[in-house]
Amino acid sequence: MEETKVVTGAWELSTFKFNVEGRGLQLMLKHMKDRKLMGIKCHQCGTVYLPGPFYCRKCHIKIDEPAEVSDHGQVMTFTIGYADVRGNPLDEPRIAPIVKLDGCDSWIMGVMQGCAPEDVHVGMRVKVQWAEETTGSLQDMQYFVPE
Amino acid sequence: MDRKVAIAGFRMAAAPDLETTRERLVFELSKGLLDDLGIDRDAVDNFVLCSNDFLDGRTISHVFLGPPAGGYMKDQTKVEMDGLNAFIYASMGIISGQYDVTMVLAMSLTGSQVSPYLYFDYSLDPTYDRQLKLLNELSAAALEARSYLAANGYPEELLDAVAVQNLKNAAANPGQARRIEGVSREKVKGSPYYYEPLRELHCYPPTDGGCAMLLVSERKAEELTDKPVWLLGMGRSTDIYFIGDRDLSTSLSAAQAAQRAYAMAGIKDPAAELGFAEISSPFAHQEPLLAESMGLLEKGKAAAAYEAGDTAVDGGMPLNPSGGPLGGNPLCAAGLIRVAEAARQLRGEAGENQVKKADKALVHGQDGLCAQQSAVVILGT
Repeated sequence: MEETKVVTGAWELSTFKFNVEGRGLQLMLKHMKDRKLMGIKCHQCGTVYLPGPFYCRKCHIKIDEPAEVSDHGQVMTFTIGYADVRGNPLDEPRIAPIVKLDGCDSWIMGVMQGCAPEDVHVGMRVKVQWAEETTGSLQDMQYFVPE
Repeated sequence: MDRKVAIAGFRMAAAPDLETTRERLVFELSKGLLDDLGIDRDAVDNFVLCSNDFLDGRTISHVFLGPPAGGYMKDQTKVEMDGLNAFIYASMGIISGQYDVTMVLAMSLTGSQVSPYLYFDYSLDPTYDRQLKLLNELSAAALEARSYLAANGYPEELLDAVAVQNLKNAAANPGQARRIEGVSREKVKGSPYYYEPLRELHCYPPTDGGCAMLLVSERKAEELTDKPVWLLGMGRSTDIYFIGDRDLSTSLSAAQAAQRAYAMAGIKDPAAELGFAEISSPFAHQEPLLAESMGLLEKGKAAAAYEAGDTAVDGGMPLNPSGGPLGGNPLCAAGLIRVAEAARQLRGEAGENQVKKADKALVHGQDGLCAQQSAVVILGT
């Protein structure tokens, strides 16, 4: 049998720097403190994005019109996870739906609670469960629950 | 070529740190170019993006860059090499008849990264070259520089002459990232050695940047521009990876790529027929080395040519009248920026750096250690 030699190497991940496009995310976080979801609407095609980008991905123009989005919506698709994204087993199966919020065109992903995995279905109405105390962070939107 | 390819327009950006996001840079280059031409994304059939997953920090980096480029529901592909390869690939789509209008967009934010020169470590053979811990982009270039100087009996001062000429041209070009006022040989000689014989000012500055360019068929060129710049010839060649298998005093890849481009463009005597050249020479010695390899300067006479001013903006064979990569070298965009700079000259828009004979030009691009791969195009009015 041929011998295989293993050569190890290290990758310096700090090599990369990513600037963040702030406006759309900041707009969203600012209003989350008041339990509101604020996206950005394209003034040309009317598409509402959450979080809002600085340009319309379809029209290719700059956009900056805030548009409030409901914290109610419907499940467009979902999966039940038995392991986290790195493959480590979870203690409990985790429901992860993609939800189309009312008044929003882009869909957002989250975790769903308050319902057994076998009861989730596409088209199911859900709402955002807000944190007891909101701070203006992504954690304010805790999970989705049945409407 | 049955179908001709024209450059209808371009936008460039280069700075040590553009302080922007990858997406915003791409959007502003693409949208700015479309606005310049008075069209929108609907007029573009095809998008060829050029980025590098390692430099970008994301695998399949172009998926993030397609939408800000305007590529929603369009044909989009990526070239993960120098931008001149993306230019050639995009041109082929027009020559074939598949497309009439293609946006080529190349970018990287390597200037504002933490270790701009050191990324090359990850492109080395991991089981041998990387284990030796002797090679990186700068040390490899230094070995090439010494080999070139020794083979031709040139003094180290040739490097200073090349750097001064390029940095002077760069200072007069508002688009360049590194613009040094009052550059002199003393200033170049006073910059620290990185790896002998290469000093800081013999090496390209780490640069953020990008370039968007619209390539069109002959029919579309009539609609979109009064000053079309035409693609006349193209050629590519790739040498072996291992630098121990190469003669570093010359560039076989550049020589072959140029010969292929000359054959296609019907050029018999490049030094006489070409008005100027934009060469991807991120290190000072590479400009004369590549120019000799491509027949633009007589072999063994480069030092005399620089001393006589033949390679200056007002000389007989201006090399990098834009200031070249020593003025700014955003990886991936580097070769495409050379095309755009050549197009500026051919359109008579190069301002202080305008060359006299601007009818036909050579553009060179490269990838790999010591120009392992070369791409050459010939452009004309």
